[in-house]
Amino acid sequence: MIKNYIKTAWRNLWKGRVFNLMNVIGLSVAIACCALIFMTVYYEFSYDSFHQNIKGIHQLYTVTNRTSGTERSTAMPVPLGPALKAEYSHVKYITRSANSGALVKAGAKQLDQNVHFVDADFLKIFTFPLVEGNVNTVFNQLNNVVLTEQAAKAMFGNQSPLNKTILITIGQREEPFQVSGVVKDVPGNSSITFDLLLRFEHFPNYKTDLNKWDNWSHMAFVEFKEGYNTQNFAKQLKPFVEAHYKADIDLLKRDGARPDETGSLLSLHLAPFSSNHFNTDLSGVEGYPVSKTYVLSLLAIACFILIIACINFINLSVARGFTRAREVGVRKTLGAGKWQLLTQFWTETIMVCLASTILGLVLCSVIISPFKAMFKSRINLAMLFQPQHLLAILGIFIFITALAGFYPALIMMRYKTVAVLKGNMGDTAKPGKIRNTLLVVQFALSTLLIICTIITWQQINYLSNKPLGFNKTEVLSIPVNRGIDGSKALQLMRNDLRSNNQVEAVSGSYMNLGRGNDGSTRSSIIGFGMNGREIRTNLQRVDFDYVKTLDIKLVDGRDFDLNFPGDSNAVVINESMARSIGGKNIIGRYLFMFPEYQSQIIGIVKDYNFKSLHDKIEPVSMVMRKDFAINYVFVRVKPGNLLHAFDEIKQSWNRQYPNVEFTGSWLNENTERQYQSERRLSNIFVSGAILAIVISCIGLLAISVMIVIQRTKEIGVRKVLGANVAGIVFLLSRDFLKLVMIASIIAVPAAWWVMDNWLQSFAYRISIQWWVFVLATLMAMLLAFITISFQSVKAALTNPVKSLRSE
Amino acid sequence: MIKITNLEKFYRTEEVETVALNKLNLEINTGEFVAIMGPSGCGKSTLLNILGLLDDPDGGSYLFNGTEVAHFNERKRADLRKHNIGFVFQSFNLIDELTVFENVELPLIYTGVSTAERKTRVEEVLTKMQIMHRRNHYPQQLSGGQQQRVAIARAVVNKPKLILADEPTGNLDSSNGNEVMELLTDLNEQGTTIIMVTHSEHDARYSHRIVRLLDGHTVMENIMM
Repeated sequence: MIKNYIKTAWRNLWKGRVFNLMNVIGLSVAIACCALIFMTVYYEFSYDSFHQNIKGIHQLYTVTNRTSGTERSTAMPVPLGPALKAEYSHVKYITRSANSGALVKAGAKQLDQNVHFVDADFLKIFTFPLVEGNVNTVFNQLNNVVLTEQAAKAMFGNQSPLNKTILITIGQREEPFQVSGVVKDVPGNSSITFDLLLRFEHFPNYKTDLNKWDNWSHMAFVEFKEGYNTQNFAKQLKPFVEAHYKADIDLLKRDGARPDETGSLLSLHLAPFSSNHFNTDLSGVEGYPVSKTYVLSLLAIACFILIIACINFINLSVARGFTRAREVGVRKTLGAGKWQLLTQFWTETIMVCLASTILGLVLCSVIISPFKAMFKSRINLAMLFQPQHLLAILGIFIFITALAGFYPALIMMRYKTVAVLKGNMGDTAKPGKIRNTLLVVQFALSTLLIICTIITWQQINYLSNKPLGFNKTEVLSIPVNRGIDGSKALQLMRNDLRSNNQVEAVSGSYMNLGRGNDGSTRSSIIGFGMNGREIRTNLQRVDFDYVKTLDIKLVDGRDFDLNFPGDSNAVVINESMARSIGGKNIIGRYLFMFPEYQSQIIGIVKDYNFKSLHDKIEPVSMVMRKDFAINYVFVRVKPGNLLHAFDEIKQSWNRQYPNVEFTGSWLNENTERQYQSERRLSNIFVSGAILAIVISCIGLLAISVMIVIQRTKEIGVRKVLGANVAGIVFLLSRDFLKLVMIASIIAVPAAWWVMDNWLQSFAYRISIQWWVFVLATLMAMLLAFITISFQSVKAALTNPVKSLRSE
Repeated sequence: MIKITNLEKFYRTEEVETVALNKLNLEINTGEFVAIMGPSGCGKSTLLNILGLLDDPDGGSYLFNGTEVAHFNERKRADLRKHNIGFVFQSFNLIDELTVFENVELPLIYTGVSTAERKTRVEEVLTKMQIMHRRNHYPQQLSGGQQQRVAIARAVVNKPKLILADEPTGNLDSSNGNEVMELLTDLNEQGTTIIMVTHSEHDARYSHRIVRLLDGHTVMENIMM
């Protein structure tokens, strides 16, 4: 019996091969996309799960209620870690943690490495198993260093690195360290990444900040003793905070800040490390947190595509079943039972699903590379064969065969034997309401994705083109690499480029604008008292000609100038800062920003977006303090031949630093890089929308085939009575277009809600316009009409004699 | 074998009710060859469908070998059908995707006959119908007469007690038509009861009795001598 089913199924599938190929293509594309997306989502959710005690690990953060609003910060003062461990008995382990780049010399080898400054508890809290060394003794000596296997191999090849000495340059200082342990390589799904672990005592400024509670500089992680209830933490720590953060709290009181409902102006809280990877609300956490919305959008789109493909499968199978009604009748006449027929049709479904799944997985292996590049996904093909993913694929397979296989089989069962044997489909065969509902669902999802695509595209376009208040097209930003003195580099470049007539101005600063090729972002905020209240400002360490080089508009006063030696203590502020200070005649006034001296305001610049357009422009103060390093050199060139200018600047860099790679990039590239996640989201929507529309149209094509078969006689009669081609095409398309219209009515409010929420995350955003919805609806209708036309035009052109004879 | 009493069948739409069979009475004995004739719309095909348990009546009684079958459920009807009744249609109704052999084999599959026995029985009947040499061909590769012979082979392979033929020669030329009628006659002579709906007086002459229907009831019965 089974053999007979398979044989018949195969011949039937072969007979309807064009139909079935459409079915298989639609389904396999959906399966490939879903497999890739599900793996990506699974990977994102798996972050940090390898830590054995992940549920017990927490990161400390403070909540400060300032007059300007509530501020949450993960930055901790240096004395906090040891103090908390000593004074709060529930703490089992605590570690301070800060990272930095460092130049490492191992013999003749010189490497740029990522260093974590930690306390000895670090390896007890986090699961980074030691392959060499003892967890209780690896940090016994002040100059101990722990390497990852990869770092060890890079430095020492296959030799054991234990007890070997390496030279590490942190800041400008080079010191010898002795290797005391090697940990297994950090897994890809770890938020914490490092090559080397050093004792926290090596953290720059450790000594000066040792007893300072008002200088917040690093992260801290804590693990509590068993049975501890973390909910009481903030309350229990209130006396601790009030005792140690007294100076900060007094300043807040002085400014008139209001305490929160627990009566605290400043409180200490815990953020579970298990949700660290999705913690985009808190800045200053380990790794690169991703928005949960982004991951869930991916998941939603995968589900949409799967649903659309399933609906397609159902509609295609029903449509094809239509052409086989007579066969069902004959089989029933010959004594086939319900289950026998159901099994037969189900066998065909399983075969199509199986072929689609196999093809889908092959497709998955082909498109995994572009997918990874497009969505910055870190999945690999081997993951596909992990038990949980195989199980998920099996689940999808069963879901499709059960859902998409059962309904068409049931429809075929309902054919009335006598009627179908005469070629009369009758009412039994019309799956009307269900089919229409499925079509509406398909097109609603497709229209939703089209709208999302248009709106994200508009917003990205807006972000790219909005004037930011500085010259982003002709300014090159060059990250000064680790181990190089930035001020010196700036001086060398300035001298070298002085004679170059392409170059307009050269300067440098502590923070970059946008995100450069080094990938790092920095920010520094300080608060100081003025006229009895606290003023907070972003601090930007700049060099001479900064305003000129970046082409920022000066509203009042002047830029830092080499000819004014006193400028090293001066400050240039933006309009927001001027408003924050208040009053008139701001130029010439003094700010008490630093304890050593007063800074005179010499210039006010127009507000410019020094952060991404997610954030409103905040007060910024530019100073020339030498204790902040110059990390970036900026060069503005004349408009025109930018490529040539880029090469000349690169050559100039290479003349100064022949062994250090040039990683300069134009500022517009840097600002674009800030919106990578938005671009990714946009790419997802575009790909999702295209897939959804294509698969939906394949389904619609199949249904139009079915409708044309159903209405052949009607078309013939109408033609005999004088109907023209256009009239018949309209007749056949009208009902479908109505359904697409209903789908749009459903999709519009849903899309508006989703996109309005998304746009709220931008301080600068477009407003959603009505024509986007009209355009998306028209696009969906046009695509549907074109699809139906393939069949309806053919039917309308058929000789009526033929149509009538077929009856 | 068959006894129907006051059999009624109506076709209803929202506004109109058409009477297809109007209190029809008919008795057919085992081994008979009966032709049912009458103008279009007189209820011939409806009667044949009810006799073949493809459709149910709206009223009256239908005794098949003494058992009331008028209100059998789908499963029971399918069961009775596959063991007792063979069908021959005007348009042959062969399944295009199956070969001659496989088409004839199909009823045996549904009655659960073993593979080896299926092979023997199909070959036997194909030989009898003189179509054995075409066993691996598909229906569309055969002439109309050959297709109908395959259809008859399929109808008789399960050795049914009753064969229902709906205008079996309607799509055939006269020589092929005669051949088919000869085959049916042979089957009848071997003991199979045959009920045939036809428009052709020529074909009807092969039967023992002609039942003429008009507006859903019997108007005349002719016994053929």
